[in-house]
Amino acid sequence: MTPPDSSTKPGAGSLDAMSADSRAEPLPRLARAIFVTGKGGVGKTTVAAGLVCAAVDAGQRAVLVEFGDGAPGRRALGQARDSVTHVIIDPRRAVMQAAGPVFGSPLLAKIALGNFAMKPMIQAAPALRELAVLELCRQTVAENPSARVVFDMPATGHGVAWLRVAEQIGKLTRRGPLYDVCARVQNELLKPGRASIAVVTLPERLVLAETLDLCQQLAQEVGLPVDRLVVNRVPPIPEAQALADARQVASAGGVVGAAAVQLVEVLSVRMRMREEVVEALEEVARHEHARGLTRLPMAPSDPHGPQVAAWLREAGAA
Amino acid sequence: MKSPETYVCAGGGGVGKTTTSAALALSLARRGERVLVVSIDPARRLADALGVQLGGHATPVDIDAGDGALFAMMPNPRDSMRTFVGILFEGEPEALARMLRNRLYQMLENAVPGMHELVAMTLTWRAVAEHRVDALVVDTAPSRNAVDFINYPDRLAKLLGGRAVTWLAALAQSGGDARPQGRAGKLLEKVLGPAVGDLAGFFGELARVRGRFVELNEGMAELLLGSRSRYLVVASPTGAARDDAAYLIRRLEKLVGRPAALVVNAAMAPERAWAETLRNAPETTEAMARTLELLSIEADQRAQATARVVDSLQRKHDTVPLWRLPFVEALSPRDVVEQLSTALTALLAKA
Repeated sequence: MTPPDSSTKPGAGSLDAMSADSRAEPLPRLARAIFVTGKGGVGKTTVAAGLVCAAVDAGQRAVLVEFGDGAPGRRALGQARDSVTHVIIDPRRAVMQAAGPVFGSPLLAKIALGNFAMKPMIQAAPALRELAVLELCRQTVAENPSARVVFDMPATGHGVAWLRVAEQIGKLTRRGPLYDVCARVQNELLKPGRASIAVVTLPERLVLAETLDLCQQLAQEVGLPVDRLVVNRVPPIPEAQALADARQVASAGGVVGAAAVQLVEVLSVRMRMREEVVEALEEVARHEHARGLTRLPMAPSDPHGPQVAAWLREAGAA
Repeated sequence: MKSPETYVCAGGGGVGKTTTSAALALSLARRGERVLVVSIDPARRLADALGVQLGGHATPVDIDAGDGALFAMMPNPRDSMRTFVGILFEGEPEALARMLRNRLYQMLENAVPGMHELVAMTLTWRAVAEHRVDALVVDTAPSRNAVDFINYPDRLAKLLGGRAVTWLAALAQSGGDARPQGRAGKLLEKVLGPAVGDLAGFFGELARVRGRFVELNEGMAELLLGSRSRYLVVASPTGAARDDAAYLIRRLEKLVGRPAALVVNAAMAPERAWAETLRNAPETTEAMARTLELLSIEADQRAQATARVVDSLQRKHDTVPLWRLPFVEALSPRDVVEQLSTALTALLAKA
């Protein structure tokens, strides 16, 4: 439930007030591969599109990788969709796609995976699908040298479990072709310096608390630092003068006074919400995993990639 | 046990799905039913929406509901797997101990994606019997693939029910020509390396509790796919939510049939007659006028966005009933739930 805001510029008084203190240090450098993660509905696709567009604007090649039918990414890229390579990975087909080299050839893979006992096991074993997707991610990065590759990860809430799958299956298998896949994913993709994580979140206290837990897990269990912590849809400050005036009018009573009481109520709720946001963000800014803290403003409708790229650049986060 | 009426809420992220689920549960409880609301959403927003502490067991929520009752639970992905095998291997302590030592199991226990939904539904099935629940509300994970879990028990049952388990369990006993494993078996052994023993052990143990698994599976299927289950697709007025809703409706039509309703959150602007009064009043200052102007632009934008989303979804899916919920602005999440519940009570009475 996002109240639209008529301003689309991040500098519209809303962000500067609380970000001046944290601008001193530059944000961590982004690796070539960027995993954009976070819970559902926080604007991951929009931020992913923004990161891709920012690279294109800077003259770099860029790839947006999406899991699903590709519609959200196409919409988020907007006008920029012609200048970006858009790769769509279908998790349901990933196992078959990635299995060829594991079994030696696509034909052998078909024999093994089509086996009467293997088929239902693959269908029921969720981890294999995730590993296959990671292997396809690794291939995409390898096939696009020098390009920025941004992965818009699905909102499963299992971001950490997903990124650990290669390590876990690797430990389980210890050797053999499946182990080799895990090792490749670990060494060529999920290494600090090779991949960055961007976590997208919303400026609500509970959501931010969950996000900090996620950042800590990513750093400790996956071993990848969160290089960007993007707080999306930071609300604008309601005009204080309007609230003060409305209080004055309300105190006079009458029909107009009663109407002013309603306005006071709406503005007080928003003022209080905004104060909570500022407090919560100040707390987050002190956290060790919030080195890449970046704030984006609330927009009237889903912003497109080029607009988000401009915001990211302005925040030094592109 | 009479199976309860089940409402499964699905939708993309950020559409207010958990809040809607909590509000729906509240409405059903106030109608006099014994209601359980379960969030499988790992984001764990349900406790916040209801203003209570929640965990893996059904906890009563204090509401003013007459004969009705409201229970809520929110299983933790991190420990739900252990509970699940505990249920599966009840009364078989040795097999349970072997299972817990199995390395494949240990990996699964480590919160492998996809297991949580299954485990959460098993726990739900138990809670439904324990608390004599007559209406169940399931808040799914915020994802397009969130409803895919409903046939996951079936996929597992296919695996465990057939010859496949025997074949997989036999993989470990190589040597001797009594068990010809064929080409696929050799390939699997080569690919998995030493882990083939863990795999075979894992399925060997599961084969022992096949009967109990099938029973759990039938219970879950009854909850999720029975004649008393309904699917609600939740959306909000954004392009992303519209695409997710359209995708989910198509997916549900394939899996279980037409959803019972398309719920659009924040789809009705609040009535603001007072704004008009203020706009025409001489007492209104410039600052107030600017704010009123902003509020009005905001309301227009919301109305347009809602119209776009509703039109496009109704054009394609005009047989799915549309439920519009109001846009609610309140400080406490529980207040939002109360206001949505009022709207849902009216919609349920009409449905």
